[in-house]
Amino acid sequence: MSTYYQIFGGKINVISSDPTDPIEGQVFYNTTSEVLKYRAATTAGAWAAGGNLATARFGLGGAGTQTLALGFGGAPPAAGLTATEEYDGTSWTSGGSLGTARYFLTGAGTQTAGLAFGGFSAPSGRVANTEEYDGTSWTSGGSLGTARSELGGAGTQTSAAAFGGFSTGSSNSTEEYDGTSWTAGGSLATARHQLAGAGTQTSALAFGGAPPKNATEEYDGTSWTAGGNLGTGRFGLAGSGAQTAALAFGGTLDPPITTATEAYNGTSWTTETSMTTARRNLGSAGTQPSALAFGGTPTTAATEEFTGAGAGVTKTVTGS
Amino acid sequence: MAHKNYQYCVAECWGKGFITLSDSTKFRISGFPGNVWQVPAHNSDANLWIMKVAGSFKTVQEAQAIVTAEVEAAQAAWDALPEDQKNRPGNSRPTDIVLPE
Repeated sequence: MSTYYQIFGGKINVISSDPTDPIEGQVFYNTTSEVLKYRAATTAGAWAAGGNLATARFGLGGAGTQTLALGFGGAPPAAGLTATEEYDGTSWTSGGSLGTARYFLTGAGTQTAGLAFGGFSAPSGRVANTEEYDGTSWTSGGSLGTARSELGGAGTQTSAAAFGGFSTGSSNSTEEYDGTSWTAGGSLATARHQLAGAGTQTSALAFGGAPPKNATEEYDGTSWTAGGNLGTGRFGLAGSGAQTAALAFGGTLDPPITTATEAYNGTSWTTETSMTTARRNLGSAGTQPSALAFGGTPTTAATEEFTGAGAGVTKTVTGS
Repeated sequence: MAHKNYQYCVAECWGKGFITLSDSTKFRISGFPGNVWQVPAHNSDANLWIMKVAGSFKTVQEAQAIVTAEVEAAQAAWDALPEDQKNRPGNSRPTDIVLPE
């Protein structure tokens, strides 16, 4: 019988704790847990729990990446929240407060250069306010031309797009931000609110919403064109990533609230591994292979982290 | 005796590490209101996960009662809202959840 050494030319590492950065294919014996482990690559995407928000909420805005994210605003209460929280890949800590309390706002940018725009606050209603975050505090930016809530967003703090939403009814308007002011862009073919967005100002993606729940549109900085339809039509969903590599997750089919996750490749959506907990009106950040979902309805503080196929994962050898 | 596809437990999600990427790649975990968690029945990895999170095992009937109580409380809270608040964007009435065996 051949030994591991004879086949692979090396011995299995015997260590008291798992290596911090194992390579794919590495095999080791953990003397503390007394198990044989190996490093493999995931064959499908998967969601894992992240650190809980300090304040459970829904209708919040999000920005940044899976390991450097920003969550801000939200409800309850009906007047909206000003609270901002920063995620470091493990836990959320308090950041500077928004100047205007609101929920159903949208975000863009990064944790240290974030953008918050639009939203709703009872009893005053829909707001046009824009605020810019520098990693410490929010300052006022130029106001949207049309006050609206439940809108889609994409881009960065100095080059953002706002599209759709609800003003006096479902909106199809797009506005573009240059770091100072908003100007009108091309209109969505289909007016909608509670949609999701991804991408950049000149390469944006709008998907889902009420109504229509399954339509996708692609923006080139001037006009919107139709993309592939979502497999699970829904609104109140969240999105992350780019126009040609986006992720859609959560939302509601009206009813029920869903865990459905889908990935977009620039042409069509394919089903991905579902979230752990069904939720709508959640916050989001990140990319297609590394997304972050946080908060949502039913009102929750829970965070989930999505890792796409091909990521490294340590497995334990079991069985006889 | 009817074959069970799922088992249920109650456990409080403490955040990072509660469900790891390794857990999710081995079996499906679904969360419901009331800190109720559904995992596959007859699955050793799922059993180990319930132990890891110090989950309290529940029958499907017990789990359903917890989820229903949470949903009914949310529905009652929604029903008590003034009409203008019920009509606020995205504020639809919470819907019933039925847990499968």
